[in-house]
Amino acid sequence: MHLDDKGHDALLIAQLKERDPNALSAAYDRYGTLTFSLIVRITRDSSVAEDLVQEVFLRVWNRIQDFDDTRGSLNVWVLAIARNMAIDYIRSSHSRFTAKTRPLDQTDFAPISYKANEVDNTLDNSKAVREAFTSLNPNQRKVLELAYFEGFSQSEIALRLEEPLGTVKSWMRSALARLRTAMQEGRSK
Amino acid sequence: MTHSEMDELYELYLLGALELEQSSEIAEHVRQQCPYCLARLKESSRVVDALPGLIELKQPPPELRARVLAVAAPPVKRSRSQWPAAFALACAASVALAFWGLGQQNRVEELNRQRNELRGALAILSEADTKTVSFGQAQTEPQGRVFISHNGGVVFLGNRLPELATGKTFEFWLVPAKGTPQPAGLFKTNAQGIAVNVLAKSVNPADYAAVAVSIEPIGGSPQPTSKPILIVPLA
Repeated sequence: MHLDDKGHDALLIAQLKERDPNALSAAYDRYGTLTFSLIVRITRDSSVAEDLVQEVFLRVWNRIQDFDDTRGSLNVWVLAIARNMAIDYIRSSHSRFTAKTRPLDQTDFAPISYKANEVDNTLDNSKAVREAFTSLNPNQRKVLELAYFEGFSQSEIALRLEEPLGTVKSWMRSALARLRTAMQEGRSK
Repeated sequence: MTHSEMDELYELYLLGALELEQSSEIAEHVRQQCPYCLARLKESSRVVDALPGLIELKQPPPELRARVLAVAAPPVKRSRSQWPAAFALACAASVALAFWGLGQQNRVEELNRQRNELRGALAILSEADTKTVSFGQAQTEPQGRVFISHNGGVVFLGNRLPELATGKTFEFWLVPAKGTPQPAGLFKTNAQGIAVNVLAKSVNPADYAAVAVSIEPIGGSPQPTSKPILIVPLA
């Protein structure tokens, strides 16, 4: 799946801003599977994921006028909405961190929001990250998964794993460094 | 924190894995458009934005597509008055006029524009939170309604507006309680004398004291250049 095709995205964004229903159809065809998969991964519930996917695309449809493509690409925006909705759902349903749940409006573009270098291709990045991820040790993988798929902070991860915060930070730092290096090497090939 | 202390935190910030204090500090730098932080965040986003690539893809059920696409064609509420119907009629009339009045290429573009405007307006009228404000009770003054929805946007529907001189257009404004009016669309009346302006973007009614219409040069103005012909308080 080609995650980021700038030319097609620019046209798609323009059509969405014109409120062309065909554009919503195209956006769903382009990002629906990935959005659904991400939400299933986070919530581990297909029927919840169906409802949340509908909410994600409703938000895309209603908020596209606010979308600023200088801040991030469309796929990043859609997936950020999906991730935040899914994490907020599991937090809310589990009542684990109610006080920490953030309004979606504040999180649509954050924390995952800054456009990568324009010559980068997210597909290539994803491939490099996937390969690098498999080379991580189990602890590094675990902390990264808990942060990305469950939205835990490092101190929450430390509590959950019953490990010292310093250890968790070290695993996280080394995991991210490994992914970063793998992507840099992937780009230089 | 110094920038060098932040260097290892940007990816964690993008992941949402930082504690509130650190996250807030970086967020403040971002808010102030700190060039160093923005550059480092852009660099850090390469890793974080690629993380969805770790997901095992699962095909959504085929019927989900129809559910998602239904959001683009929400059911129209039964109107509480004749205005939505009049609005649809006005749009239809405009479409017909556009069809006969323009060249073939322009016709298609205009029809598409009109169709999208109509759909956008109907979507706003169908929002659950849509608030309706009527204006113009006297027989001699502009009359109409403003439909405003936090999620959907604003539809202005009016008639009995003054005739426009050549080279002029109506401009619609959102007027905050404090601050300058914000331009919110250009429009003209159709052959029936009905004017429609659709602003399809999120608008919090609480942020605005009124909407207004002024007459501006073709192409519009960033700020009103004439006394508004109409001010409609939203309270």
